Amino acid sequence: MAKSKGFFIIFMRLLALGAMVSAIVVMVTSHQSATVLNLTFTAKYTNDPVFKYFVVAEAIAGGYSLLVLIFFSKQSKLWRLIIIMDVVVTAVLISSISAALAIAYVGKKGNSHAGWLPICEQVPKFCEQVTGSLVSGFAAAIIYLILLLSSLHAILTPAIAVDP
Amino acid sequence: MALQIEEKPTEYVVERKKDWVVLVLRVVAFLATASATLVMALNKQTRTLVVATIGTTPIKATLTAKFQHTPAFVFFVVANGMVSLHNLLMIAVNLFAHKFDYKGLGLAMVAILDMVRIYTFKSFFLSNNQLTNQSTQKMINKQVTIDDLLAPMQVNVGMVSGGVNAAVFMAELGKNGNDHARWNKICDKFESFCNHGAGALIASFIGLALMLIISSISIIKLVKLKSTHLQP
Repeated sequence: MAKSKGFFIIFMRLLALGAMVSAIVVMVTSHQSATVLNLTFTAKYTNDPVFKYFVVAEAIAGGYSLLVLIFFSKQSKLWRLIIIMDVVVTAVLISSISAALAIAYVGKKGNSHAGWLPICEQVPKFCEQVTGSLVSGFAAAIIYLILLLSSLHAILTPAIAVDP
Repeated sequence: MALQIEEKPTEYVVERKKDWVVLVLRVVAFLATASATLVMALNKQTRTLVVATIGTTPIKATLTAKFQHTPAFVFFVVANGMVSLHNLLMIAVNLFAHKFDYKGLGLAMVAILDMVRIYTFKSFFLSNNQLTNQSTQKMINKQVTIDDLLAPMQVNVGMVSGGVNAAVFMAELGKNGNDHARWNKICDKFESFCNHGAGALIASFIGLALMLIISSISIIKLVKLKSTHLQP
């Protein structure tokens, strides 16, 4: 049972790493120029601090996943540290995606009470790419949550091992 | 039967000694998240602003800033409220667990867990009757220890971190505006609203930090591992 749980967790980490890398790549390559009333303005991901934070947070989480996949095999003595870091990284991923979603919602629907107009009609391609990146980031966060809960479950249930 | 009666008192004494630090941290975390919820939920400011001037008569408009205007703040209030209730429940479980034996609940949990195991990991589990009886016996008769509250704790950490970060970036947008998107800042007009929101955010961040510390302490003190390491 230990082996199957080990493979499952490694597989989930790979999946999460793929989702994070795709989120970063899609966000970084999203830009579009639009001309409104003779003013050309470019929509890039660096215009808003949230999307910068999103890219940095996904990069940190992706680097951590890569490290754990490469260096830490089974039966390592640092398993407690890995689980604690998993909790922290899950929290970071969830926080980055929820912050980016909050600002992206304002960009898409606007906020009438504050007088903020939505910008998605002027830059639709940029909006679509950001949406795709956010979907990928959301998938990475969920995968990490499932991974964390299954690691805890693997440790907390009594070990069903054969003791003859 | 004789073995179980002898084992219980020693477990009882050992668990009690270690509990106080985590309990105090949990109480402070509960207070932090509850205060964040309350302060943000009661956050409201009304101001009368001069919108335009026609001739000599100024036109005034009454504008209200409420937390419901922004979905991020609504999520913040809901997440912190749920997490503070759950923290309260966990404090109660920590304090009063050894007074109740949850035998009936244990049986239901074991039944559900067994069904989940059988349907998901069919070939990998031993169908040895002796071992399953032993593990089910242990599950039914156990007391609630610090390890049982681990999984809910992680979910709570996730919720609080999501809520607080969404709210913090919306607050930053309200404070600084965004030139590229032509979004004006609103904090210069609604100062009290912004200050109260900032206080609620700080309290929630403190709660998040404390909950991370509680999680780490619980994981470091994990005692349920048997001889074979189930390494994730």
